Amino acid sequence: MSHDQCPSTRGEERPAGGRDRPDVWRSPEELADTPGFREFLEREFPAGASELDGASRREFVKLMGAGLALAGAATIPACRRPDVKILAYSREVPEEITPGEPLYYATSMPTPGGGAEGLLVRTETGRPIKVEGNPLHPSNRGKSSTWAQASILGLYDPDRLKFPRYVNPHRGLLDATWDDFNAWATDHFARFDSDGGSRLAFIVDKKTSPTRDRVRDEMLKRWPRATWLPYEPMDDGAAIAGSRLAFGSPMRELLSLDKARVIVSLDRNVLHGERGALNHASGFAAGRRPVRAGEEMNRLYVVEPGVSETGASADHRLRLAPSRITAFAAALGRAVLERTGGGGKLGEALDALHVPGRDEFRLGEADLVAAIADDLVAHRGEGVVLVGSSQPAEVHALGHALNAVLGNAGAVVSYLPMGDDEAADSLGQLRDLSARMAAGEIDTLVCMNVNPVYDAPADFEFAPRFAKVPNTITLSVGDTETVWGSTWRLNGAHYLESWSDTESLDGTIAPTQPMIAPLYGRAHSDAELIALIAGLDTHEGYELVRATWQGITRLKDERFEKLWRRSLHDGVLANSTPTPAVPDADPRAVAGAVSKLSLAAAPSENALDVVFATSHVHDGRFANYSWLQELPHAGSRVVWDNPVLLSPATAKALKLEPPEGSEDPYTAHQLPRARMGELNVGGRRITMPVWIMPGMADGCAIVHVGYGREHCGYVGTGIGFNSYSVRASDGAHTASGATLARAHGSYEIVSTQDHWSMEGRNSIVRRIDKAAWDEHGDKSPEELRDLIYAALPGHEVNLAEQLGELSHSPAPVSIYVNPLNRSTGDPNPGDEAYDTALKKDLPPAFARGPQWGMSIDLSACTGCGGCTIACQAENNIPVVGKREVAKGREMHWIRVDRYYTGDDLNDPGEVLHQPVPCMQCENAPCETVCPVNATSHGEYGTNDMVYNRCIGTRYCANNCPYKVRRFNFFDFSQTKFNGTFVGEGSLGRPRNVNFIPPRLRQKLDEIQKMRMNPDVTIRGRGVMEKCTYCIQRVNRARADIRVRDEMKSLPGIPDGMVETACQQACPSGAIEFGDLLDESSVVRSSRVNNRSYMLLGFLATRPRTTYMLRVRNPNPAVRASEDPFVAHTEGGENGADETGQSEARALFHRTTAPDGGARIALRVIGAEA
Amino acid sequence: MSTLNPDQVTAQRLAGALGAVQRENVGDGSLIEDPSVRPPLVLNDREIGEITEIVCGYAEGRPGRWWLPIFLVTSTFVGILLVMVSYLIITGVGVWGLNNQVDWAWDITNFVFWIGIGHAGTLISAILCLFKQKWRTAVNRSAEAMTIFAVICAGMFPAIHVGRVWFIWFVFPIPNYNWIWPNFKSPLLWDVFAVSTYFTVSLLFWYMGMIPDFATLRDRADGRMRAALGEGRKRLVPDVLRGYIFGFLSLGWRNSSRHWHRYEMAYLLLAGLATPLVLSVHSIVSFDFATAILPGWHTTIFPPYFVAGAIFGGFAMVLFLLIPAREVMPGFKDLLTLHHIENMAKILLVTGMMVGFAYSMEFFIAWYGGNEYELYAFKNRATGPYWWAYWTMISCNVLSPQFFWFRRLRQNPLAVWLVALAVTCGMWFERFVIIVTSLHRAFLPGEWHMFFPTYVDILTFCGSCGLFLTCFMLFLRFLPIFPMAEVKAVMPQADTHAHH
Repeated sequence: MSHDQCPSTRGEERPAGGRDRPDVWRSPEELADTPGFREFLEREFPAGASELDGASRREFVKLMGAGLALAGAATIPACRRPDVKILAYSREVPEEITPGEPLYYATSMPTPGGGAEGLLVRTETGRPIKVEGNPLHPSNRGKSSTWAQASILGLYDPDRLKFPRYVNPHRGLLDATWDDFNAWATDHFARFDSDGGSRLAFIVDKKTSPTRDRVRDEMLKRWPRATWLPYEPMDDGAAIAGSRLAFGSPMRELLSLDKARVIVSLDRNVLHGERGALNHASGFAAGRRPVRAGEEMNRLYVVEPGVSETGASADHRLRLAPSRITAFAAALGRAVLERTGGGGKLGEALDALHVPGRDEFRLGEADLVAAIADDLVAHRGEGVVLVGSSQPAEVHALGHALNAVLGNAGAVVSYLPMGDDEAADSLGQLRDLSARMAAGEIDTLVCMNVNPVYDAPADFEFAPRFAKVPNTITLSVGDTETVWGSTWRLNGAHYLESWSDTESLDGTIAPTQPMIAPLYGRAHSDAELIALIAGLDTHEGYELVRATWQGITRLKDERFEKLWRRSLHDGVLANSTPTPAVPDADPRAVAGAVSKLSLAAAPSENALDVVFATSHVHDGRFANYSWLQELPHAGSRVVWDNPVLLSPATAKALKLEPPEGSEDPYTAHQLPRARMGELNVGGRRITMPVWIMPGMADGCAIVHVGYGREHCGYVGTGIGFNSYSVRASDGAHTASGATLARAHGSYEIVSTQDHWSMEGRNSIVRRIDKAAWDEHGDKSPEELRDLIYAALPGHEVNLAEQLGELSHSPAPVSIYVNPLNRSTGDPNPGDEAYDTALKKDLPPAFARGPQWGMSIDLSACTGCGGCTIACQAENNIPVVGKREVAKGREMHWIRVDRYYTGDDLNDPGEVLHQPVPCMQCENAPCETVCPVNATSHGEYGTNDMVYNRCIGTRYCANNCPYKVRRFNFFDFSQTKFNGTFVGEGSLGRPRNVNFIPPRLRQKLDEIQKMRMNPDVTIRGRGVMEKCTYCIQRVNRARADIRVRDEMKSLPGIPDGMVETACQQACPSGAIEFGDLLDESSVVRSSRVNNRSYMLLGFLATRPRTTYMLRVRNPNPAVRASEDPFVAHTEGGENGADETGQSEARALFHRTTAPDGGARIALRVIGAEA
Repeated sequence: MSTLNPDQVTAQRLAGALGAVQRENVGDGSLIEDPSVRPPLVLNDREIGEITEIVCGYAEGRPGRWWLPIFLVTSTFVGILLVMVSYLIITGVGVWGLNNQVDWAWDITNFVFWIGIGHAGTLISAILCLFKQKWRTAVNRSAEAMTIFAVICAGMFPAIHVGRVWFIWFVFPIPNYNWIWPNFKSPLLWDVFAVSTYFTVSLLFWYMGMIPDFATLRDRADGRMRAALGEGRKRLVPDVLRGYIFGFLSLGWRNSSRHWHRYEMAYLLLAGLATPLVLSVHSIVSFDFATAILPGWHTTIFPPYFVAGAIFGGFAMVLFLLIPAREVMPGFKDLLTLHHIENMAKILLVTGMMVGFAYSMEFFIAWYGGNEYELYAFKNRATGPYWWAYWTMISCNVLSPQFFWFRRLRQNPLAVWLVALAVTCGMWFERFVIIVTSLHRAFLPGEWHMFFPTYVDILTFCGSCGLFLTCFMLFLRFLPIFPMAEVKAVMPQADTHAHH
């Protein structure tokens, strides 16, 4: 760290120029002789030296109860030390702290575009290290998104702004302090008092925070003519406008998908990446996890151009370009209204629309529009029509109208009025502001937590206009392009180190409380900065929030303190959740809007629809979070990049398919390379790599935004391509008529999954249609004694296992007595066979609890990757960078495999996701082959890894059939990406830092080590690692039980006391973990369910992690259900692949001739006996 | 004549009723087809003393002009090897092209390749000795030397391929304070024992065989030094060194009949000990794969198939090195005749057919076994992304030895050398195919990944070839490359009853 506080060397850090030339720093004349200015010049310790001004910090420490012993530089004897203000409890450990025990604090994280997630943050000796969902918060109920999980990286980002900096017109960039800014601002902003602030503008992120709203109002009282612009680059303006059209005022949509039977998504990724997605995913999953036959299931129709998590979860998925989805929506509206009595004016307006090309709206032979309309009408009040951001406002309004007509409003969907900031028309207001900036009408522009220089629509020409504004003040946590263009660059406080509050989508108010004092200097939050600028009585966040809440609750003194403490503890303000409203959609207004709708012709290769989509890095704000950069994109599984995605057929037509051919580009003889293409959107051009994604709509290109950052930090800078440069305000989400021409060069694209097909190995991800499930789901053979491992000699296998190899392969038993469990027949844990037949001198292995197991429900999994990120956070899993992922060295302990089914790469049948962690096999193939006993079996059934013992032969990974072991080929956990290489990379762009070989990278910053979980070893180079079922959590629970009197009497570890990180984060609850011997455990009940199967169970590995097969709920009008137990009938498009037939045949044979062993041999040689 | 069956022909020939069969092209005179006439193992009616002169001449005299350039090239590769291994150890195994799906590639390919090369030596020394195949004397010393050098190359790879080389001692059963023993169930541990045993026995065998020859070299140096002293000249430094070194190595050998008696007995015992090792080492190496559950590895055919392959590859390497040596070293052709080469070519043909049979049986069982994963693994070998490696292997190992059905080609050193070269390449590819193509597409397609070698992979392999050849060049230069005593014993002069 460069800012050491040794007085003897301190001066060297000072910017050149300085003390002897005071008069050159004169640009704002008023400043020339203020005390603040003089102080700035004469400080002995300028940046960062006086950041801790005692009283307020002590105050918050006391109130938080965290008891962080903080001290200023003066108390530290050491001369050189990092500029970090956190110390261990050196002398007095606060009463409530047990060193080594984590403490959890409730807080909430504002989500992009408004709303919030309630969180519990785990802190270890004062360091927040892991973000978990707050079960008491109604907007996420204990779940957490990948953004919240990864936000910890923003806190410990070494590229954060660390102290204010000021661009002096004469002396250039100077280091400054908050006192300097305060002094400057006091005088500077006083100028605006005369005309009410007409030359003053604020651009802030859209945030639903009562405190910020209150501070904003206070500020606007002083400068009523100031411009206040809540801005989100990827703002869903059409949705806001659509609700305004339908209801007269902007409304938030609240979904209760658990009550829905029929869900129709028109390009809305409702299960991932939007506000409320965590609740949506859990509600959706709740309707899709049948335990017994005949249970009701919801049905999801998705019409989308790309492959989203929602599309992958759909029962029927139609790929359609966005402009055609508008036509589809119109046709659907017409069909629904026809079935519900005409629909009056709206029906007429829809009738008047000419909807060409109805043939596109077919799946197989069925008319999807009619089928969906029938289904929606049949389930009135139990369905919902959802419209996504690629659709114009009129379609959103139509969606609201349809939900009203169908009686879904009030049942599945309800509404809440939006706040002012939330409902603002970001892009429209930014256009006006940008015009005023060009006209020189703006003197001072304050940007807080926004990055318009980078992400404003290209037609605003924002960056050059921004540069012309005389005073630009930017508050930001991380480094941004806007920061680099500003005159004042203020270091913002991360939400984990500042006081604030949030209002979530459902209106619940929650506190945001700091876990730690600001790591760098006196960082301010946005509300604090506004208060400071506006000269409010206090600008301490703590006081601001309390004042706001006193206003909201109208409580004072003791009663308020009580409520305050409880709210901080619970993480929500009690009783703050408002009752949703069900406003009437105005059909006439909707009809008027719809009648103005113009339906574009279907796009073609020469006039592409372009979708600007957000991904894991959202609009670019998370681009410096390495976990999210290395999290594979939905569908394509590309990491560290944002290529233009095309369907294979479109790529072929444009001659832009990957050079190795689109059939199987990933397993070619060289690393996958993409061709470069020049994308022309309305005259703006960008040259980007082009990649194919099966299952996309033809004539459509998907471009992710948020990449190609120039000032972002060591992770995000120079990653991908800045697609904002071709995005105009009138096509902010979707543009049409774009062209894509082949350009010179090629580019390396890296994907974590190199293969798209399941290669006919249908037993990997097993599926069954609901009709077949209802037929067979409850059948259990009489002697189905082996409930946990399904197949034993003489035992029948359960339904899910009948769909795989175990139905026709010999029972997987050993010919030897296994010395570990002293059996040949591998009886179950807790099986009576243990006690009777095998009980000898010792109690058998695996017979005493707890015996850990995991069950992953493929019906519920949406493939969002939340498990991967949660695991990465919990287990200190390193990020390896693009170059290493290209070599196949990613380190994720739980990965999500993605498969497309069917034979047609361009139009695959289904998209399947399968999370794969370590299976913790009882007969683990990895254990027998390790020469040094580095991986061995624990008595609780887990396959343990002894890092200290591992010498790195990698034999275990070779012998792992699931390939879940990860090897540290380099010192991954100790390196960061900005190595010593600088200079131009290929294509004239800055060198992609992820191409720097790990061996040349720098060591990790000290600050980044603070986020490591102290309960989990950091693995060095040359060591194998893998999922441990979060054994550190298990061990902590066991210790807790041992030391707590009230729990000593418990027979084991109660179900639910231990949650693995992946299970805890999974929004749809697809992952269950617990004790298999505990009859009451959730995982046990899943394990004995007819849907449970072992992945590659025929290998006799006896995995402790099992899967539950995916149940599909197809509409019979669209495709006939398939029953794997009867000979294959003429089915719909989905299951008609050849392998499905052979699977069905094999099972059919089983029903007639039970000796499966010979049958499969006959099947192989093609002799159908 | 046409009425006689072949046995009758032979019987008549042996009885002298038919004359010796003379062919137009009898090469160097060692290619006598008449079964009644033993082809000479040493040509040109060399006297016994001449054998000593020839063999000791290599170790004592100046080498030809070919030696130094070749030695410089090979030792340069040794330098490259040292650089690459240092780089690997300092930086991490990631400098190779391995990944989390293909965790072994060139490292273990090279290991199995070199271990296979080492098989010919012990086979020739031990098994052919027990079977009293006298022709083995022409090649056994150099083949044993190759065994030693190849096992050194082989042993290096498992040692350096681990992630933490500094903990490699964990694999040895050393009692330590942690009370952790190695995992005796692991085939890698069996490798440790098998390879180290093999190396030890081969080294002893090689060394013991050389003791009488060392004594000869010692005595010759001694004689020259005495002569020099007698003539008042200074002793030559090389002679002094030879006197000391060979004097030490010959362990006081005095050519007494008691020494010879014990020597013969010990040699027989070591041959008996080494014989099972020939079969066991590569069987155990094959267990690395056969005991795994990976399709393409998990096959019971591996032990015999690997042993046959090792003998195949080992003989190919012997031919590959000795045919050029025969051309450049004076008198070599008299000791290593075309008859020897033809014999070894026949062994190549036989073992090549064995591995060809094994390849086809693998496919048959994959099909017959009805396991779709296994069938896919084998189909993928032939048609997947690494098809070129598979077909290189097939053409080198199965097709190229078929030329040896033709006597002319068997007896043509150039043709034999070319086939040996092909087989050596083919055997490397065999191991590559088994290891990489099985790993890169295992059970779950979601985790399939290609392997691409880096320059470090390639240079490390080239460096190991350099190490092998450097050792062999030093062997040619400084050690008795033929077992003088044994060659003399198979010469006609040794048979006092038959010789006139």
